[in-house]
Order: sequence, then structure tokens, then C-alpha cells
Amino acid sequence: MQYKNNPLSPHLQIYKWQISSLLSIAHRIIGVINILAITLICIWTSSLFFGEENYEITKLFLNSFFGKFILISLCWTFSFHILNEIRHLAWDAGYGFDLKVAKITGVLAFFGSFILAIIFYLIGKNIF
Amino acid sequence: MHTSTKKWLFLKCSSLILIPLMVWFTINLVSIYQADHKEVINFFTHQPSKILFSLFIVFAYFFSALTISEIFEDYINDEKIKNVANKLLYIFAILIPLLTIIGIYNLS
Repeated sequence: MQYKNNPLSPHLQIYKWQISSLLSIAHRIIGVINILAITLICIWTSSLFFGEENYEITKLFLNSFFGKFILISLCWTFSFHILNEIRHLAWDAGYGFDLKVAKITGVLAFFGSFILAIIFYLIGKNIF
Repeated sequence: MHTSTKKWLFLKCSSLILIPLMVWFTINLVSIYQADHKEVINFFTHQPSKILFSLFIVFAYFFSALTISEIFEDYINDEKIKNVANKLLYIFAILIPLLTIIGIYNLS
């Protein structure tokens, strides 16, 4: 097979925006954001090596407004990826291909991700 | 089995495993995010969080490497650039979790 002549995907500006394409593109972008975030988390675990005094600087950052913003954003990006991945797995199992159903599950995955992020946050903070 | 079929199967199996690990990690991330040095070390050095976090990063990087290589396949035309990008991606996906896991196991 000649991989060399494989056609490339059309560039993003060529698409007519609709829920299916929007979620597909968002899924890829958020996937990349998530792995960058997990890399930062790995660096964060490495910072534990430098002792309690040095960790205070990291803690100061994590307790700042920006730090909290990152945490809440991560709750949402992880939630979105989880729900959209479940949607993809359902497609792989042969369910939800109907255009109407695909649109409904797309909307559910998008809005559900906000609810799931709030639930994760509340459980994590022991509010539930 | 065709290489692409194998890749697809690996992708789907890893995503299936990753979903519960991601749920577990997100909840725990919220609870330890602002904790003290001692509490964070306790979290990463005690079971089951030690093994679950290790599994989480291994599967997260494995899954990401496969999906990002698909993005390269879709958007990079030049074969040489694509190969270099893929190799860098795979090195990154092996090194980061490996170093982190070694680090965690040496924390205790």
C-alpha cells in the first residue's frame, strides 16, 4: 500500500460547523491539552523530591486564582474527554450512528461534561 | 492481523481501561491539589493510589501516543517530518511515565 499518496484530512476552515464536527475537533484538541496537563502533573510529582520548603512555591501557585482555574478547567477537560470517549466506544459497538441520535449524544456529552466536572469537584472536596 | 487493526484495537482497549482510571484520578486530584507536602507524598506513596496512578499515566501516554500519531497521519504530508514527529512522540510517551513511576517508587 502506498502510504505516501494517502490524502490528508481537509483543513479545519473547510468544514461547515455542526455539532458532530465541532465535537470531533474539540475531542482531539482537548485530548492534546489533557496529555500536556498530565505531563505537568508528572512534573508536579517530581517537585515533591525537592523537599517541603521548596514545595511551598508550588503550593503557593496551586493555591492562587490561576492554580484553581487550572484545576477546575482540568475537571472539565477530563470530563469532556470521558463522556466523548464513551460516545466513541458506543459507536464502535454499533450504537448511536443515527444522525439524530448522534446529535443528541453530542449535545449530551458537551453539556453533561459541565455537570460531571461539578460532580467530580464536589466529590473531590468531600462536599457529597 | 493488519497493523491498522491492531492499532485500532490497542486504542479502544486502552480507552476502555483509561475511563475509570481518569474518573478516579480527577476526583483524587481535586482532593490533593491544595494539600500539604506530606499529604501529597502520602497519596503517591501509598497503595492503591501508587499503583493506580502508575497505571493511569502508562495508559494515558499509550493512548495519547496512538491518537496523536493519527493526527500526524491526517495533517502531515511530508513522510520524513511525520516519521521524526512519531519517533519523538513515542520516546516522550515512554520516558515521561517511566521517569515519573521511578520517581514515585523512590519517594517512599
